[in-house]
Amino acid sequence: MLEVHTWEPNANSGKPLFCLHEKGVPFTYRYVDMGAHEHHAPAFLAVNPDGTIPAIVHDGFTMTESTPAMEYIDEAFAGPALRPKDPFRRWQMRVLMRFMDNVVAPSLAMIASNRLAAPRFAGEDPDELRRKLDRIPLPERRSTWEKLMFQATPPDDIAESERRVSDAIRRFDGILSREEWLAGESFSLADICVFATFYGLPLAREDEVNDAASPHLMRWLRACHARPGLQAALKMGKGFVTQRAADVRQKLGVAEAAA
Amino acid sequence: MLLHYAPGSAHSAAVRIVFAEKGIEPELRKLDMVHFEQHSSAYLAINCHGTVPLLEAEGRKLFESFAILEYLDETYPEPPLIGGDPRQRYIARKWGKYVETHIAPNLAIARWAALHGRMPAEAQAGLANLLPERCALWLRAIDGFDREQLAASTHAILAAGQRLAGDLANNPWLAGDAFTLGDAAVYPHVAQFETLGLPVPAAVAEWLRRVAARPSVQAIREDLFPVAVMGPEPGRWG
Ligand SMILES: N[C@@H](CCC(=O)N[C@@H](CS)C(=O)NCC(=O)O)C(=O)O
Ligand SMILES: N[C@@H](CCC(=O)N[C@@H](CS)C(=O)NCC(=O)O)C(=O)O
Repeated sequence: MLEVHTWEPNANSGKPLFCLHEKGVPFTYRYVDMGAHEHHAPAFLAVNPDGTIPAIVHDGFTMTESTPAMEYIDEAFAGPALRPKDPFRRWQMRVLMRFMDNVVAPSLAMIASNRLAAPRFAGEDPDELRRKLDRIPLPERRSTWEKLMFQATPPDDIAESERRVSDAIRRFDGILSREEWLAGESFSLADICVFATFYGLPLAREDEVNDAASPHLMRWLRACHARPGLQAALKMGKGFVTQRAADVRQKLGVAEAAA
Repeated sequence: MLLHYAPGSAHSAAVRIVFAEKGIEPELRKLDMVHFEQHSSAYLAINCHGTVPLLEAEGRKLFESFAILEYLDETYPEPPLIGGDPRQRYIARKWGKYVETHIAPNLAIARWAALHGRMPAEAQAGLANLLPERCALWLRAIDGFDREQLAASTHAILAAGQRLAGDLANNPWLAGDAFTLGDAAVYPHVAQFETLGLPVPAAVAEWLRRVAARPSVQAIREDLFPVAVMGPEPGRWG
């Protein structure tokens, strides 16, 4: 039995959903409503005591690190291979995923959550917010939520995240000017890892992600958005992500590509 | 193959352990981190991150130690070290990631404080040649990490000890019944804990002895001392 406890097809939360759809592996989607802080509630903490999503449970084996879990999925199930064969290409795939997970995705998360989540806490009862914070198991997570709830993210940190995201956009555009996919000639987990946070950038960062400024990244985004597997995963959302992805497909002119 | 490494670098030690496990002797180029040779323009021309290790193989320059370990395991499959089944491999890779996000960055900070790290003025001139994020991390170190950061780093290291003990509760090795790249990646960092006054749970202390007894580790044991240098950047958002 394969169960994925997660939120929307977005960022880390979305990685297993994209990966399983690309491989064509059936699974049960257990929706965890991050907006309602369900990932910090006892039912989910019983699955992942760290209170982070996703949690993937395969025949009683629980995985809470999404990138190693994607490699597990590629190894444990039939379907198209999502890792190149050549060791050097695999090195490229893994280094890129590490850069994404440790540098780019947290920067984007800082930017997006300060824009979208932080304003929602303004005016809420501070004691109630403290009670919510107390339920968060990992100290490093508690400190990011505290910054969001009390509008305390230093502006310099956000500016630094902006710099890193812009830098990554340029870097990926450069790779994609030489290669068809991020780790070479075949679609791989590196593409999934980046797409999971980059799918919405033609709208969210229109100034940098457009046909004039980053043509190769745009070519790649069109190719990803047109893939039936990635599209099917994006359609599983219950909130704004699915609509957002449809708007992006419209904008990129790939609306019907995999319909 | 040519490995750029430094004595005292835990990430370098992991790569050398795996080479020894495979019975391969790469050509070695030693850097002196005590004198900040990793920030010299000659080395930065090879590796712009200004960190070790770096492996030159087939005309390419490979950095990021856990990805190097996997590269070696795939290029030289005997003996296999990533784990015998998908579950073991997941656990080995989980530790390969945890060491970068939670152990090494916090160890670097605790170590800098414990060893009273400092950077001489002539070495500080070299900071301008580093990538902005490496330069910023070094400037923080030179200023001295604040009490709050030190407390968080110490807490993270103790938490890492508990987590290691959890996976070692019923197993000799982190991923189960076989030594894997996970053990090789984590060991050189945790081997520094006790020297720096950071206690480890009993199960971890036993595992440290088990790893230390391997001939691959014996061969480099003189290089396992702590040096006051930075590691990977601590997470900026959670
Ligand atoms: N190390 C985990 C981290 C997962 C993670 O950061 N998930 C985010 C959602 S994308 C999360 O749980 N955020 C909620 C929180 O931190 O409270 C992985 O790489 O999969
Ligand atoms: N992510 C890198 C980290 C390498 C790293 O942090 N190396 C340390 C020594 S263990 C270093 O070179 N520090 C010197 C400096 O930052 O100046 C890897 O896995 O190889």
